[in-house]
Parts: sequence; C-alpha cells; structure tokens
Amino acid sequence: MLFNGKRYMKDTINKDTKLAFVSWLVLIVLTVLSVYLIHFVDNRALYVGVALLIVSIKGQQIIDIFMELKQAPKLWRVLLLSYVVVIPFIIGLIYLI
Amino acid sequence: MLNISLMSKSTSLHSAVNENNTVKSTLPGDLAMWFFILAELTVFAIFFIGFAIAEQQNLTLFSDGKKQLHQSAGLINTIALITSSFFVALALNVMHQNQGKKAAYLIVLANLTALIYIFVKLWEYFALFDQDIGIETNTFFTLYFLITMFHLMHVLLGMVILLFIAKRAFCGAYSAKSISGFESGACYWHMVDLLWIILFPLIYVI
Repeated sequence: MLFNGKRYMKDTINKDTKLAFVSWLVLIVLTVLSVYLIHFVDNRALYVGVALLIVSIKGQQIIDIFMELKQAPKLWRVLLLSYVVVIPFIIGLIYLI
Repeated sequence: MLNISLMSKSTSLHSAVNENNTVKSTLPGDLAMWFFILAELTVFAIFFIGFAIAEQQNLTLFSDGKKQLHQSAGLINTIALITSSFFVALALNVMHQNQGKKAAYLIVLANLTALIYIFVKLWEYFALFDQDIGIETNTFFTLYFLITMFHLMHVLLGMVILLFIAKRAFCGAYSAKSISGFESGACYWHMVDLLWIILFPLIYVI
C-alpha cells in the first residue's frame, strides 16, 4: 500500500482540530468548576488541593494540545509539564503547611 | 518508528512525515523562542511563589483583598484567553494545510477575543482606582497590580506578535513546510494563557 502523505496530513489536521475543540471545552468546564467548587467544598485544604490539581490538568491540556508538545522531543515536553506540576505543588505546600 | 530530535527545525516542524514514511518528533517553532518562554515562566514562578508566601504571612489582609476583587471579571478573562488560545491552535492547524489567509482570519479572531481581556482588565483597574485602591494600598494590592500588570504587558506583546504573524500569513510568507515563525508566535501566546491559568486561581480564587 502506497503511503499517501497528503491524506495523512489532512487526517491529522482534522484530528487535531477536534482535539483542540475538546481541549477548549475541558479548559472551560474546569475553569468554571474551580470557581464554583468553593461553594460545595467546606474543607479549605481539600479545596486548595483540588483547585491546584485543576491547574495542573489545564496546564497539561495547553502544553500537549495547544502548544503541540505531545509530539515534541521528550525533554521539552517534560520541562513544560513539570512546570505545571511543580509550581502548583509548591504553592499547595506553602498554603497547607 | 518515532525519532526523537532535540533540535528545533525551521521546516515541517510538527510531527513531520519524511520520505521513509516515519513520523519525526520535532519542537514547534524556534529553539530561541523556547528558551525565552522558559525564562518568562521562571520569572512568573518567582512571582507566584512570592505571592503565596506573602499570603501565608498576611492571611487576613490577603483574604480581605481578594474579596475586593471581581472574581467574575477574572473568570471572563480566563474564558477569553482560553478561547483566544483555541483560535490560535486552529490557525496553526489550517496553516499546516497551507491556508495562510484562513489562518490570518483566525489569528485576528484570537486578537479580538484577547481584546475582551484587555477591556475587562482595564475596567477592573479603574473600578479599584475609584475605590481609592492602588499599588501602594497594602501588600496584597502591591503584588496584585505588579503581577497582573506584568501579565497584561505580556498579553499586549503577544497581541502584537499575533498581528505580525497574521499579516505575514495573509501575505503568504508561511507554508506548511516553512512555518517556524508562525509556530513561535503561537507558542508565545499559549504561554501567556498558561501563566494566566495559574495566576487566576492564585490571586482570585484560592
């Protein structure tokens, strides 16, 4: 079977567009959730933990989908992903200790 | 087979398909831009951690300060920046299809969405100024104005970069095989969004 580069690119772009839309939807839902979560969670430690976890998930979506680093060299992807994990983790430690 | 390359390439950057039908993993945009992004992220990381430490030392002051902010304005701005980033991601996708004009329109749409952020932010500042709240009011507002104004400057710079790449895309300066400049501008914009994703809950919500 001959490889069709043009077809591959078109399929990839359609897939990327769908992925970007789903990612946008996830980001919006998580943003709204993080704001209104405080009305449902009384425990501050739990609320801070969940809000910072949401930050990490949103960061991962932006890095992997919008910045297209999912297919990038591992070093750069890990560098950027570690930022959205380590910084919220440090902030969480400061708030909760 | 997936070849991992640490170097940024100026052509066919995103999961490039080469003649051997293999998908090559490459960094989108220029390598220099990524070092710049890392430097920017580091500066903001210091701000974020500094804010959190200051808050722990002045819990009541920061709690009262946060109550004086308009959380809904922060929420609108978050949605505006996320949506703007989404349009930029779509623009990059159509640019991969050599549709420069379509990409330029999407970038303009992203900039218009970013304008919502600018207007809301300025409205927020003036609403605080009307209450005689300024950068010297207390530690909370010093940090609030410092961090958000610094971020605002990045948004403005990002909008200028987006307009520049939109103009070039419209003129046909980019193609699917020569897209590095476009990707660099797009990634800078996503970084601005990424910073706000952390800044918003830290200053407005938690």
